[in-house]
Amino acid sequence: MAQAVDGPGTRVRTGDLAAFEGVMRQYERLVLVTAFRLLGNMEDAKDVSQEVFLRLYRNLDKVEAAISYQAWLYRVTVNLCHDIGRKRKPSVAMEDAPDPVSTADDPHQTLTGAERQRVLQMSLRALSTKERAALVLRDLEGLSTEEVARALGSSEATVRSQVSKARVKMRDFVERYFRRRV
Amino acid sequence: MNCVDWEERIAWYAGGDLAPAEAQEVERHVAECAGCQLLMSGLRESLSLAREAHGEPVEAAHFAAVRARVLAELERGPARRWRFAWVLAMAAAAVVFLIALRPRPEQHLALPMPPGPSAPVVAKVALPRRQVAPPSETVVVKIETDNPDVVLYWIAETKGETK
Repeated sequence: MAQAVDGPGTRVRTGDLAAFEGVMRQYERLVLVTAFRLLGNMEDAKDVSQEVFLRLYRNLDKVEAAISYQAWLYRVTVNLCHDIGRKRKPSVAMEDAPDPVSTADDPHQTLTGAERQRVLQMSLRALSTKERAALVLRDLEGLSTEEVARALGSSEATVRSQVSKARVKMRDFVERYFRRRV
Repeated sequence: MNCVDWEERIAWYAGGDLAPAEAQEVERHVAECAGCQLLMSGLRESLSLAREAHGEPVEAAHFAAVRARVLAELERGPARRWRFAWVLAMAAAAVVFLIALRPRPEQHLALPMPPGPSAPVVAKVALPRRQVAPPSETVVVKIETDNPDVVLYWIAETKGETK
């Protein structure tokens, strides 16, 4: 998924904030939504996004000289989220989960957007920090295993193990969540 | 090999990540194992739900808020330093001007004012009556303007001066 992108670094370095705004518009979803999935809180995700883009602005030379913006942004976003996440209790107990709203026979088919968001966020909170990061990048953001490994600073074998465990835990959570309403 | 040993491979397979040879092994096992069929379908459903939720649009206001905060921060950087430099230069010029106009004790200073209906600005100097000033003494100049809400003070220290 990661690809080399022509960066407007030269224009940005000359103080062209409009050019940098263009960069932000291009990558804002990547940064904000990834941070939101990792943290589960939009205000914290906005804080992380702000810091990520300020760091990008200050490190534009290095980023352009090295890899793609995308890879750099994922890595910095994950690292900043880890810093914030360390101060939090990441797990969520099923007893803490609110009752499902849907009442139809096939809950997966009748979930509203808000319910889907809630189930996803809660199932992500049931994962460890590393599992969550691996799953978000691999399954939600669609990075390759190699790209995830690079972003997380780990091996591909570790990523495979983390993603597999995370998928099973997520499936367990989703099943328990919907079983409660039967 | 029991089903727990298959779990990681099945989970990896559910995301379409297994190499063909390994995928065939998993498919053979799943075809014969009801428990692993349930696991596989559950994995696929939860992955599908997660991807669907992840792909839903995010309110544009969140992105706009981040952009605004970043741009405000960047604009504040060097620009703010220049603004402060200008203010400091003006303050320095004002100090030099006030020192040049520094009044003597007991002196009333009438500052020139532009013609108009407003009352003239009068500066009053209050200094304690002493023959010899202490090593350090404060001089306060109060400048009253025609605006009752605006009163300017100039505070200076004398150092061992004799009056």
